[in-house]
Amino acid sequence: MKTIRHTATLFYYDGPQVFEARDAIGGHYVAVMVEPQGEQDRYLVAGVAPERLRQFRSGTLDLRSLLVEARGQEWYLAMTADGLDQPLVLVPQQTLLMESGLLPDEGFVLHDRPAEDLALKEARERNNLVLEIAVDPPESAEEHRIRVGTLVGLLGHVQTMVKHAYGAALRDLSLDTRRAIDRSDAHLLDVVIPAASGSFRVVLEGAKSPDLLGQNELARALGRVDVLFEMASDPQQALAAVKANSGHLAGAYLRLLRFLVKHQMGLRYAWAEPSFTKPNCRAITEAEAGPLVSALSGVSNLGSESVELVGALEKADVVSGAWRIATPEGTYSGEIKPGGPSLEGLRLGSGYRFSCIEEIEEVEGTGREQRTLYLIEHRPA
Amino acid sequence: MSYRELLPEGCPPDTAEEIAASREVFRLVRGNPPTQSDFRSQRAERPGRVFLGVTECQACGLSVFAERTELEAKALKLQHLKNRLICRVELVAGAGRIQQTGQRSHHTWWPLAAFHILAHCGVETV
Repeated sequence: MKTIRHTATLFYYDGPQVFEARDAIGGHYVAVMVEPQGEQDRYLVAGVAPERLRQFRSGTLDLRSLLVEARGQEWYLAMTADGLDQPLVLVPQQTLLMESGLLPDEGFVLHDRPAEDLALKEARERNNLVLEIAVDPPESAEEHRIRVGTLVGLLGHVQTMVKHAYGAALRDLSLDTRRAIDRSDAHLLDVVIPAASGSFRVVLEGAKSPDLLGQNELARALGRVDVLFEMASDPQQALAAVKANSGHLAGAYLRLLRFLVKHQMGLRYAWAEPSFTKPNCRAITEAEAGPLVSALSGVSNLGSESVELVGALEKADVVSGAWRIATPEGTYSGEIKPGGPSLEGLRLGSGYRFSCIEEIEEVEGTGREQRTLYLIEHRPA
Repeated sequence: MSYRELLPEGCPPDTAEEIAASREVFRLVRGNPPTQSDFRSQRAERPGRVFLGVTECQACGLSVFAERTELEAKALKLQHLKNRLICRVELVAGAGRIQQTGQRSHHTWWPLAAFHILAHCGVETV
């Protein structure tokens, strides 16, 4: 008994109408909704060659042609009553697919115009969000070359900025919407083309598949990043935009800019989802990054975020200012900045509300982040 | 504000746009004239179904397209939808909230109960 699993929706209208799927050994399939039978959705399913599926995704092959080329002329029907999270059992059909009366009409193509841009082309072919970043470090002036440390640092800074942009975007959503988003996997982006031709370009893809509607949650994050780069040529306007996003995202942005200045390069990026007609593109030159770093460096607390902790005090060192508090979400440790409140008189085991500022510093040379919580106020909980 | 269908808490999402200015969207209907049953969500159609991969909120909304050609060039090519008709719906202030979801032209619409859908829609001639 052959089964397939839904992997990506290609066309959605009151539910997935066309989707792609994989079987247990990685074979590719396309499923098209046909007339439901009772309460059950019914899909016409055919195995397809990966290259032809890629062409369909990119808009250069129509759905009917893709299906009639099915491997060995085999086709199936699959029914589902419980949603597409369960494996679909394929029932082989004996009649010819061409005579089934279930094939879509000619002309169903996913995109009405070809993608001219790499990010959009890749987004369509991969059916996922794609981010392309390009830099021109000095070593790339005469050949396709980039220092290992520069590449590693660049990817680390970009990934960190996207991570904080994602966190900031999620905080703006309602609790219910946040709960509905699967965040079980912390990886946000994978490198899929490590060195595209042209300037030194790297293509990254959302680590998670898009939802049934074809959207990737990372789009929320990249929308935030776009805002930061929007006014890069005007330090004052850029300053306002970054201040409006103060917190870890702004801190990560500033660290990326410092990195660019240090390595004497600008940055261009483009990102797209499969349904886009053109990618979102932003850029900052080396000449623009310098003044912006100067302007942003003068803003106090640009990269810090407020954190409220409520729980039982586990440690309070009056001399060093170190403390630890156990909350329902976990145990947190921190310290007190010079001039901050004293820990004197606090009782271990008692409940307190700690108002803190969280600051992130880059561990020099590693690209890793070190978070520190500074207590600014405490009171009994 | 009460919506046409019972929605989960926090639905429509904060990011959905409240319809304040007139705009047109397109949806498939089964006949001419359209009926209320043409504007039932997936959730209303199948109360017991699990819709994994889309939020419950989206399952409680209606699929509409900003561009008629998306329905003509795609949905109407599918055998189980090809006999349907394209209905133009004029959304005006008070029509509810809407959000682009999925393909470029696809939107999810959460109509308000007080919005008289049938008075604002007309079947298009192909």
